[in-house]
Amino acid sequence: MSKPALYIAGASTISHQPTFRNPGFSAALGPVGAASALINPDYKEYIDAGLLRRMSKVLRMSVACARDCIAQAGIEQPDAIVVGTGLGCLQDTEKFLNTSLTVEGLLPPTSFIQSTHNTMAGQISLSIGNHGYNMTHTQNTLSFEHALLDASMLLREGDRNVLVGAADEHIEILDDIAGRLGLEAASPLTSGASFFILSNENTGNALGKLADVYTCGGTGSIREEIDAFLDRNGLRAGDIDLALYAGDSVHGAASNVSYAALSGVYATASAFALHYAADVLGSGVGVRNVLICNTLRKNNLGLTLLKAVEA
Amino acid sequence: MITSMDSLKEDLKKQIIEQLNLEDLTVADIADDALLFNDQGLGLDSIDALELIVLLEKYHGIQLTNPEEGKEAFKSVNTMAEYIRKRKEA
Repeated sequence: MSKPALYIAGASTISHQPTFRNPGFSAALGPVGAASALINPDYKEYIDAGLLRRMSKVLRMSVACARDCIAQAGIEQPDAIVVGTGLGCLQDTEKFLNTSLTVEGLLPPTSFIQSTHNTMAGQISLSIGNHGYNMTHTQNTLSFEHALLDASMLLREGDRNVLVGAADEHIEILDDIAGRLGLEAASPLTSGASFFILSNENTGNALGKLADVYTCGGTGSIREEIDAFLDRNGLRAGDIDLALYAGDSVHGAASNVSYAALSGVYATASAFALHYAADVLGSGVGVRNVLICNTLRKNNLGLTLLKAVEA
Repeated sequence: MITSMDSLKEDLKKQIIEQLNLEDLTVADIADDALLFNDQGLGLDSIDALELIVLLEKYHGIQLTNPEEGKEAFKSVNTMAEYIRKRKEA
């Protein structure tokens, strides 16, 4: 039986593409280049200068996106804040560890305090004065899907609006590590933050509906898993108008787009895909069903089904 | 004439800007007697106080362990410079 749909009432992404405050961006994106850079907004519009000076890249991105999509949804406060991150606040982690290797005696506290994975969710809550449920999920490439599952359960238990998102940041040492491990990704390693307001009712401005989310670790046949997931939602592969994938494409879908080629590679790039999907659905171009198939890491499968609001 | 105290204050201002990521400030923006923990001055907070303790050890080799001393020493750049001078003389 299909689950009650949840509505995407706001969406905001900062990435290496012109995604921030740019509705309709999905129509104009090309693959992200190796020399691409993060496109930063003026963070002072979103974050108090006193807080901003301490924030690393991923914190600035997260707080700005969170505030932007709360404004889009026209709500005062979400009932909960749920964040997914694969590698957390890497810049601060690296800074703290480097300092601990080079400095004798006392270590500077800021990078230590802000090096934990849940700093993003915490900084968002401090920034907007939110006292609700605050949770961070870190499950490698399925971190965002797990955050979505948590948010979905909260909404189905009675919450009205949940802020859910994901962020990961690129630091130079990742290229070095990837090189040493002989990992050659088809797309460059990048940074990205995407946040959404999920609501259990449509107040008129919803971009699309989140129909279902599924994760599986150590999966065997991806094709069988996809078929079973679609079957549980009363669909077949041929009903999927657009499949967004990282890793393996979706056999039988009307069209396939590699979201990893658009976002670049980071652990929670499927959040970029969700915003891309919401942007396509919100553009009213006749797309009704979108499937995000995340196999960025081969043995981790994440499936997210979205539908047009009227579907 | 630039004295060694003037030079120390200039260095302290540079170190404070760097250690506390005061991106929008330059040395010229920080008056010697500006109150560091007052909104009319630099508006620093408790985390900054910890960073200043690290700064003293990192750049000047001084360990500040008595909180009461810190209260006095961290009033302004003037008091910080004076505290460093006294500790080095001791």
